[in-house]
Amino acid sequence: MSTHRIECTVNGEAHSVEVPARRLLADFLRDDLHLTGTKRGCETGICGACSVLLDGEVVKSCLMLAVQVNGRELTTIEGLAEGDELHPLQKNFMQCGGLQCGYCTPGFIMASCDLLKNNPRPSCDEVRHGLSGNLCRCTGYTQIVESVLHAAEEMNHGD
Amino acid sequence: MKPLAKAVPEGVQPAQPHSTLGVEIPQVTARAKVLGRAMYAGDIKVAGMLHGKVLRSPYPHARIVSIDTSAARALPGVKAVLTGDDAPAQLWGVHHKERAVLAKGVVRYCGEEVAAVAALTEEIARDALDLIQVEYEELPAILSIDESMDGEAPTVHPGRENNVGHEIRFERGDVDAAFASAHLVHEATYQTHSQYPGYMEPMATVAALDPDGRLVLWTSTQAVNLVRMQVAATLGLPVSRVRVIQATTGGGFGGKIVEDDNQLVAGLLALKTKRPVRLVNNRLEDFQACCASVPERITLRLGMDREGLIVAKEVRILAECGAYAGLAGDVMHVSAMRSDNMHRNGNVRSHATLYYTNNPPRGAFRGFGGTQMLFALNSHIHVMAGKLGLDPVEVHRRNVLPAGEVSVHGWQIGSNGLVECIEQATEAIGWAAKRSAPKAAGVKRRGVGMAAAMHVSGNRTIGNWDGSTVVVKINEDGRVNVISGECDMGQGASTMLSQIVAHELGLPLADVHVVPPDTDVAPVAVGTLASRVTMSGGNAAIVAGRKARDELFALAALRWEVEPSALSIGGGAVFVTDRPEQRATLAELARQAVWRHGGGGIQVSGTWDPKTVMHDDQLYGNIAPAYSYAAQAVEVEVDCETGRVTVLDSYVADDCGKALNPIAVHGQSNGAAAQAIGWALYEQLHYENGRLANGNFADYTLPTADALPELRGGLVESNDPNGPYGAKGASETAILPGAPAIANAVEDAVGVRITELPITPEKVLAALRARKEEGAAHA
Amino acid sequence: MREFDWLEPASVEEASRMLADLGDEVRVIAGGTALMLGMRQRMLAPTHLISVAKIERLRGIGFDAAQGLRIGALARHSDVARSPLVQQHAPVLASMAARVANPQVRNQGTIGGNLCYADPSTDPPGCLMALDAQVVLGSVRGERVLSIEEFLVDYYVTALEPDEIVLEIRVPPLAAGTEGVYSRFLRTAAEHRPLASVALVARREGALCREARIAVGASTPIPTRLRCAETFLEGRSVTPEVAAEVADIVAQDITPVEDLRGSADFRRDMVRAVARRTVAELFGLSIDQGVPA
Repeated sequence: MSTHRIECTVNGEAHSVEVPARRLLADFLRDDLHLTGTKRGCETGICGACSVLLDGEVVKSCLMLAVQVNGRELTTIEGLAEGDELHPLQKNFMQCGGLQCGYCTPGFIMASCDLLKNNPRPSCDEVRHGLSGNLCRCTGYTQIVESVLHAAEEMNHGD
Repeated sequence: MKPLAKAVPEGVQPAQPHSTLGVEIPQVTARAKVLGRAMYAGDIKVAGMLHGKVLRSPYPHARIVSIDTSAARALPGVKAVLTGDDAPAQLWGVHHKERAVLAKGVVRYCGEEVAAVAALTEEIARDALDLIQVEYEELPAILSIDESMDGEAPTVHPGRENNVGHEIRFERGDVDAAFASAHLVHEATYQTHSQYPGYMEPMATVAALDPDGRLVLWTSTQAVNLVRMQVAATLGLPVSRVRVIQATTGGGFGGKIVEDDNQLVAGLLALKTKRPVRLVNNRLEDFQACCASVPERITLRLGMDREGLIVAKEVRILAECGAYAGLAGDVMHVSAMRSDNMHRNGNVRSHATLYYTNNPPRGAFRGFGGTQMLFALNSHIHVMAGKLGLDPVEVHRRNVLPAGEVSVHGWQIGSNGLVECIEQATEAIGWAAKRSAPKAAGVKRRGVGMAAAMHVSGNRTIGNWDGSTVVVKINEDGRVNVISGECDMGQGASTMLSQIVAHELGLPLADVHVVPPDTDVAPVAVGTLASRVTMSGGNAAIVAGRKARDELFALAALRWEVEPSALSIGGGAVFVTDRPEQRATLAELARQAVWRHGGGGIQVSGTWDPKTVMHDDQLYGNIAPAYSYAAQAVEVEVDCETGRVTVLDSYVADDCGKALNPIAVHGQSNGAAAQAIGWALYEQLHYENGRLANGNFADYTLPTADALPELRGGLVESNDPNGPYGAKGASETAILPGAPAIANAVEDAVGVRITELPITPEKVLAALRARKEEGAAHA
Repeated sequence: MREFDWLEPASVEEASRMLADLGDEVRVIAGGTALMLGMRQRMLAPTHLISVAKIERLRGIGFDAAQGLRIGALARHSDVARSPLVQQHAPVLASMAARVANPQVRNQGTIGGNLCYADPSTDPPGCLMALDAQVVLGSVRGERVLSIEEFLVDYYVTALEPDEIVLEIRVPPLAAGTEGVYSRFLRTAAEHRPLASVALVARREGALCREARIAVGASTPIPTRLRCAETFLEGRSVTPEVAAEVADIVAQDITPVEDLRGSADFRRDMVRAVARRTVAELFGLSIDQGVPA
């Protein structure tokens, strides 16, 4: 079994870690870098609780190997806030009831980042399709959609 | 897009600038979660922690001939391999102690725990499972209720004749005479299927021994005390030598009460290895380990008069608990009698039987037996209304047992917003116009349906105590700790407790901290089930909050030499009502409390137990302090060519008594409605010879964001006399009307009645074909 | 997941030599979404994973008038969906790519990886078949070109030689007046994989169909070209009744699979419905007309 030195940037911080080839990216983040905000929720790549940004685009970290991110940039939920200042998505998920148990929330927020980057003014339907790779069992999605739309409005006014 | 509303309701006294009662606020737990800092059990790392894995039976019924663990134990990194021989002789279970922590000699369902491994890494533990050699002798398996009922069937449990886990029979009034005099009698059989709770965080526990050798469990749970009792009793430890701490819990919905083996196996591994052990299900394991909801076959017969008043009801329920009964008997109890209490009808007869099979165990899930029966009842009412030429809304309204009355089973209805719920929901969906509109002739046809439901806010039958105790501790900085054993699994219990204590003490919400339930310090608590926490925990928080306030007043009274009755509290301070400039902050008073002769910190305990009773042996008695109601109206579109049913619009009106946090109540209504739609249309567990064939999220399809409409809803505030500020539970009632509303809407759309859930495309197409053939035959 | 060695060849030749040398238990990985699922559940346990992520030859999307679109094997579904060249020269392909799986998988999964894994329940193969796409394969022995139909042999089986990798996918230029519709049918809105798909690429003049290519996917082990239905359509003026007849022919002509997600009969009925609606959509007809009795 091969081991590899992974050099990558996570939330703006450079890391250099030796990992076995079979280390999943999700486990690399959670167990090697101790960033447990990214969650494991299923075994079939469906739930999206493991979603992170790779070079700014949302992927499922349980479907990637750590060796695949050598030389690349990752953003996890822990990297969104600026100090104590919450990212508009984090703030609006809180205020609009976009989370209850919170387990799916980091994944939803990361997927929403990607969605709004590609489509800063999405319709309700576009939000729902853009989040079709994430499952929530608590909210029924209505307040998640509201959270994203409110965040989008806030982010667009900043322009 | 709906703007956020912020309004402090009138009539909340005394006027509190900080009070958040009735205001839309974020959950107090939300910030940690959106930052990714919240610690769920699977996030916890303890030095020297081992990783556990469970080997599960591949057969639904088999004798364990032999288990050879030598190769597994020899694998480097493996620290323990346990089998049934290592498990305690004490069996566990809810009412029937009939389950071994690890199977002893026989397995009764595919997925049953046979062996457990603890190793240095999860991968090594997983590899070790493959090295455990188990020789099974397959035995005949009972895989359906019909097989279980067969007189010749082998028994699932020795000594349990007829494979019956529980039976209920009761009768009130004169049922036969009532049927004889009824204008319309209708009978039909309904079939409801099992639903997997599908919480996003799979079951997880970290178990460890503390330096004094006590067993500590950080776990994902709804009920720390029930877990402690079960672990202590089963593993043979005094209750006080077991400590259960609720980790942030990623959803439960009834599936994380006490029907899971996870804490027992984790505890056993920790005791044997004397090291911390992490036992986290992956999703495939969780599908096998978690109890899905109880499937029921319900034969319902109702008699109505000409105006749609129900005069007689008879129901025969055949329910399945699978291999182990768990809470399934309690679930069936709810199916057998709860919905009777919605209506005036006094002639009821019920016979319900719970059968064991070699399918995986079934148990508690949101709705707890109400979902099953209300599917039958609401479908039935819709059909009978049609036969009488009446609007189902009218029939529902006529039958409602209003507030102030006592039901057929002795339930005292303190508040009832059901009629308003029905009106709100049907108006929102455009009921009258859509029902009377001519049906379109294309391949896609639309229809509307509605349903009504009742649930409890609390339930004394758990064990003759439905109360709660909350401790309020005022720190020397004037901020407050709230300590209770009632669990927040995402629904917002911690926020509710914070709001109430903050209100009573005139503090900003941020100054109140709810301590995660820990059995070492929390008062004993029943836990989060039966929609009881707002009612009992909330009322206890009021008692505790006022006791703390009274202690503060006593201190201030000393300080200023006034009577306590001359004082008020608000804005973070106690002040003389007529001279508000004479004030002291809570911090000043808290310090004053300590540093004096006879001093000490301010820490008070408030208990509240509803004045309810256990039901008698005829199931009669007022068992809950309040009853909650909900109604739902939906519009569906049926594609006649593909059989697909799409919910276009859904409106749930929820009588929550009083909405202490409207966002939270809406969140509960939406989540419940989504689960109901999933149950009705999208979710089905498939078994092949007793083995779960689709136990993963790719094949067992929960609703996604693009499979649901924008779920709409409203609140009805019936102001319950027993509830904290009038509030009742508001989490389960909203799941109850969804499936029948959809079934009724499908009938409105295309004229076919589906009585067997889920409503699949295949069933819709088959029903359409049958109706066409029938029509052709009559032509 | 079992242990394995991770290799990152920098060229096609290097990858090919590794494949030849390392024996049977070797897999090529591009994005890895499908592979990871199989490996995590221990259904696949390769001893080596050969990543093609560093091979430049596999990257990029281009167009030339002779060969048409040239899509590197490493193009992700999101790259295909967003590519101005694909949107211009084969818009149906971009439309299909925008709907594959979910946003995260589209950002990671590749068109080459998808074809090589040959999972019957995915979108790209059927759509590519209706576009008469070709697959360019490379090894130490050079390059060769196969049609999609030659490349896809059976479910999870392709015509790749043991030491070959997919380099690029070519979509020949479409004649003027050609339109395409890709329909992906889910049994219910909550499902994640299509139960049936129909790809229709047709050259039309108003209601008249000059040329048609129809491929059914997801309900058969490999996508099926429906040449009978194509022949029936060509030269015909398409009305709702014609759409229904084409759909019947399509439904008769396939051998649908039977599994937990749907019986063969149900799949056949769904293919019929989807085919009818796909034809109707391309020719601007209402789906409410021509419904079979």
